[in-house]
Amino acid sequence: MSIYTYNGAAIIAMAGKDCVAIGSDLRFGVQLQTMTTDYKKVFQIHDRLFVGLGGLATDAQTLFERLVFRHNMYKLREERDMKASTFGNLLSSMLYEKRFGPYFASPVVAGLEPDGKPFLCGMDSIGALETAADFIVTGTNSESLFGMCESMWRPDLEADELFETLAQCLLSGIDRDALAGWGAVVYVIDKNKGVIARTLKGRMD
Amino acid sequence: MLVDESTVQKITILSPNIGMVYSGMGPDYRVLVRKARKTAQQYFRLYQEHIPVAQLVREVAAVMQEFTQSGGVRPFGVSLLLAGFDDNGPQLYQIDPSGSYFAWKASAIGKNMNNAKTFLEKRYSDEVGLGGLGGSIVVEAAGCGGGSSVGIEDAIHTALLTLKEGFEGQVSGNNIEVGIIGPDRKFKVLSAAEVQDYLQEVE
Amino acid sequence: MGSNGGGFDFDLCKRNALLERKGMAPPKAWKTGTTIAGVVYKDGVVLGADTRSTSGSTVADKNCEKIHYIAPNIYCCGAGTAADTMNVTAMISSSLDLHRYATGRQSRVVTAMTMLKYQGHVSAALVLGGVDLNGPHLFTIFPHGSTDALPYATMGSGSLNAMAVFEAGFKEDMTKEEAMALVAAAIRSGVYNDLGSGSNVDLCIISKEGVEYLRNHEFLMAKTYTRKFPVTYAKGTAPVIKEKLIPLSAVDVTEGAEEAMDTS
Repeated sequence: MSIYTYNGAAIIAMAGKDCVAIGSDLRFGVQLQTMTTDYKKVFQIHDRLFVGLGGLATDAQTLFERLVFRHNMYKLREERDMKASTFGNLLSSMLYEKRFGPYFASPVVAGLEPDGKPFLCGMDSIGALETAADFIVTGTNSESLFGMCESMWRPDLEADELFETLAQCLLSGIDRDALAGWGAVVYVIDKNKGVIARTLKGRMD
Repeated sequence: MLVDESTVQKITILSPNIGMVYSGMGPDYRVLVRKARKTAQQYFRLYQEHIPVAQLVREVAAVMQEFTQSGGVRPFGVSLLLAGFDDNGPQLYQIDPSGSYFAWKASAIGKNMNNAKTFLEKRYSDEVGLGGLGGSIVVEAAGCGGGSSVGIEDAIHTALLTLKEGFEGQVSGNNIEVGIIGPDRKFKVLSAAEVQDYLQEVE
Repeated sequence: MGSNGGGFDFDLCKRNALLERKGMAPPKAWKTGTTIAGVVYKDGVVLGADTRSTSGSTVADKNCEKIHYIAPNIYCCGAGTAADTMNVTAMISSSLDLHRYATGRQSRVVTAMTMLKYQGHVSAALVLGGVDLNGPHLFTIFPHGSTDALPYATMGSGSLNAMAVFEAGFKEDMTKEEAMALVAAAIRSGVYNDLGSGSNVDLCIISKEGVEYLRNHEFLMAKTYTRKFPVTYAKGTAPVIKEKLIPLSAVDVTEGAEEAMDTS
């Protein structure tokens, strides 16, 4: 068994026109035993920035706490929020620092840059950064998430369309993953409106 | 008199968008240059983004402060002018040996700083342009910055005139230095020939 | 624990080793798979790379960048563990930057080569190319630290495919166009015949006159179809149970009137 499949996760981030969305499933399990069904794997860093952390939940939590710490210190020092791209590079550096003893987490960063353009990036557990103009996925069954996104994503989706597209990709992708599911949560970051959080009903098996 | 002027260099580049000049002890300055460059590089490695001017100033000033309070060391015998351009526009900072620092529209450090500052006060206007940094190989340094988009030329002229004011002897392209930074965010030290051309313009 | 001062942190090594002993396989790091290649031509060096990055047999990135900046006159293609190639090149680029500030001289390719030998600690196979005062140089650096200076070189899982093309087509003193065509053909051979390599061809031409970085010089793998009627979901398709607007928390700070500078 891989340590990545210990808790289960499904995360998708997608870019639209002047908006981005990021969503995750809600299951938290220990191997095949489901513990809770309200465990979000996506966290808000600031108004226009979210990070999704898949992989081993304990490492994801520790990593998130360290990220909040680093972001708070940055805000105090530089009197500004971190740009999404800057945050991605910081996270990559933090992961590579542990190159020879990594956190078992695979992050996805989704946010809007200061000019309102979407920024998406993903990385492996040792911080190999990959930026994308379309979508980034991670989780215990990333193949099926990849498949859904490859066929459903289109350029320049408006905020509402983006939500529906991501929701379908996530829910359908999850259906073939025994370790993820039990509902989902999706955040849409809109340049003008702010963040809209929606909880989705999913299969409960 | 006998020094080879071509070997003296006071203005140094710390990162692509930030330059620095000093007044005081050369060897002390070089220690700070080395630390500042390393700091800038560390910041870039962490964020893949150039260090903002204010952050580098804070880091350098922190080092200088530490040396006023630690045992077995003495304070740095230099005042610094640090010029850069980042998301917050053109900026000019002065750092003193105590570690205190301020942002200025125009400033001067060194032997003749009082006269130079009086001159700058009269001469400076908001139209003076975008961060020129002048230094001379004697103990003066003068800098000039501003927030307007007109004329980096004006800033250079003002810096040169300020330097000329209290200069012992004849200024030439070989005994003063000029560093400039504009919206292209590339700090550049002018060649002796370029300085000479600007000197001719202000005469 | 953790800083921004550089250096590695080995805190989790013991725990990770324990988990591995208990049968928990560590995650796969992304590999670049890769076909990378370079040739020396009359006035400089041409470097080339494919753009696929893989995680096991899944394509993690369809269009990644494998030609990394080292110095204004030096670039480097990386194969192996993606994170290693990225960080190793960035670290050396940073050291050379400081070295240039200190010496006021252009970096030499051999200097970069010497710094990039990591003797097996990080798994990066590199093709390093550049032009300095001694002319054009091309090196390969193996993960275990051995190096070669060559007129034409290939690395990565597609290195044999690319080398076949070089062996058949390499000539000395080629023109820039000939060299570009040869390198592109070598990378294409990797893209089509090696499963670890794919997508597009990036080229980087370095000469005394400067650098031309041709990202996606050959765009080989566009989507082969577009949906005539793209799937659109009507608003309200997804079963939303709860909806909440998180308002912007940022407070706009209005600056007070600018204070006059104290000129006393």
